[in-house]
Amino acid sequence: MLVLSGHCDQCGTCVAVCPANALMLTESALVIDHERCTLCALCVNICPFAALEIKHED
Amino acid sequence: MKTEWDIIVVGGGPAGIFAALEAAKAGASVLLFERKREMGIPVRCGEAVGKVDFHSYTEVDPRWISTEINTFVMVLPNGKEVKLKSNIYAGYIINRDLFEYDMAARAAAAGACIRMRSNVCDLLKNVSGEICGVRVEKRGTFQEYHARIVIAADGVESRIARQAGIASVLNIRDIEPCVQATLSGVDIPEKALYLYVGTCYAPGGYAWVFPKANRCANVGLGINGKYSKRGRNAESYLQDFLKRFFPEASVQRYVSGGVPVSTNLETLSLKNLLITGDAGHMVNPLNGGGITHAIESGIRAGKAAAGACRKPGEMQSLFDVYEKDIYRRFGKNHESQYRIKELVYQMNDEEYNRIGEEVLKIDLKKRSFLAVFRKVVKEHPGFLADVLRAFTGI
Ligand SMILES: Cc1cc2nc3c(=O)[nH]c(=O)nc-3n(C[C@H](O)[C@H](O)[C@H](O)COP(=O)(O)OP(=O)(O)OC[C@H]3O[C@@H](n4cnc5c(N)ncnc54)[C@H](O)[C@@H]3O)c2cc1C
Repeated sequence: MLVLSGHCDQCGTCVAVCPANALMLTESALVIDHERCTLCALCVNICPFAALEIKHED
Repeated sequence: MKTEWDIIVVGGGPAGIFAALEAAKAGASVLLFERKREMGIPVRCGEAVGKVDFHSYTEVDPRWISTEINTFVMVLPNGKEVKLKSNIYAGYIINRDLFEYDMAARAAAAGACIRMRSNVCDLLKNVSGEICGVRVEKRGTFQEYHARIVIAADGVESRIARQAGIASVLNIRDIEPCVQATLSGVDIPEKALYLYVGTCYAPGGYAWVFPKANRCANVGLGINGKYSKRGRNAESYLQDFLKRFFPEASVQRYVSGGVPVSTNLETLSLKNLLITGDAGHMVNPLNGGGITHAIESGIRAGKAAAGACRKPGEMQSLFDVYEKDIYRRFGKNHESQYRIKELVYQMNDEEYNRIGEEVLKIDLKKRSFLAVFRKVVKEHPGFLADVLRAFTGI
């Protein structure tokens, strides 16, 4: 599952590259739509702050 | 509460503010939504603009100008500085927070209605599938607003164009994740822009040092998205850069942001929707500058939209003209800049050093951008046509 585990500056870079339209910024947060997210990890790598991470449930 | 408007503008950056201002001046009823809580903040920007362009759009308040620039210096991977002829780089480092704040007030004075902390989450469509407004979330409650025309000025994070069915997702190689620190107490020449080129500073991009008043400076960098990794991202490159060049400086402000470095979006209008600024990828893909493009496209979109409200029958032709004008004004140029970028950013550090050393042999009075590219062309002959096109606008 894609999770926000670090500091998010709400810069929107991840939103711009998300091919699944699964990310959205609100006034003060990044919102992840887990139903749309395909775990492609583009956002994980593009984030300037390493704020996103894919966590595997065990 | 009024829920029927002529024009709804999504996003309150330079594109949206100028669109709202122009449309309101032309007599349309305009509602602008901005997600953030303060106009102009955070300043996700190096704040460099061309002087002549900037003055051509509006009456410039002196408070918006932090410093005036007349020199351009490229720093090579080996640390050598290549100064370029000065007189053609007349520019400003602005106080973008003040600029946007004041311009939003001017838009409101012209009659536009501005709503902050309002996140546009959906485009509304009527039964025949036409865009008829937006759904807005404000502090957890949702409200619908109707308009005849929607202007998407929602920046690099744009979702409006996508919702309208335009393929605007950026490929990772067409975006630059950027971070910037505004430093204080730095001693650098006050009138010079410094660009650090080479993969050692910022792979697929560059680092910049832009002087601001009172011994401050915007120091930032962008790397190409394809080089950005979770363990080696823009932030880590900036930390290395700061440690190396400004180890003692204090930080006043820290920001991040994404810059689209593709060519312009092909589709900039769709029936009653117009796309402006970063949302339309209108940034110069070689240098990442997008303030003036956002302003100019905003102005043109505002005028076109207001015109279409007065004469609905002419909407299609007015919007076609908008698209064509944007292409003529900078879209075409950005196609050449894009090809130059593709070549320049694939050079390795030895090539940068070698070409830089060649340029240093040229007399300073003749050392222009074009002279630099001529040296690149010597090594990559196929490059010439693009360089000429980019600089002559053909
Ligand atoms: C680090 C960095 C440095 C830069 N340096 C320079 C420079 O030195 N010179 C230069 O010319 N350009 C520079 N740029 C580029 C420049 O900042 C942009 O091109 C410019 O801001 C584009 O203006 P815009 O109005 O299109 O978008 P933005 O300024 O991004 O404004 C878009 C606005 O829309 C809002 N928004 C988005 N979605 C919604 C929604 N759904 N609902 C409500 N509001 C929404 C956002 O909050 C934002 O305020 C830089 C960019 C970065 C990231």
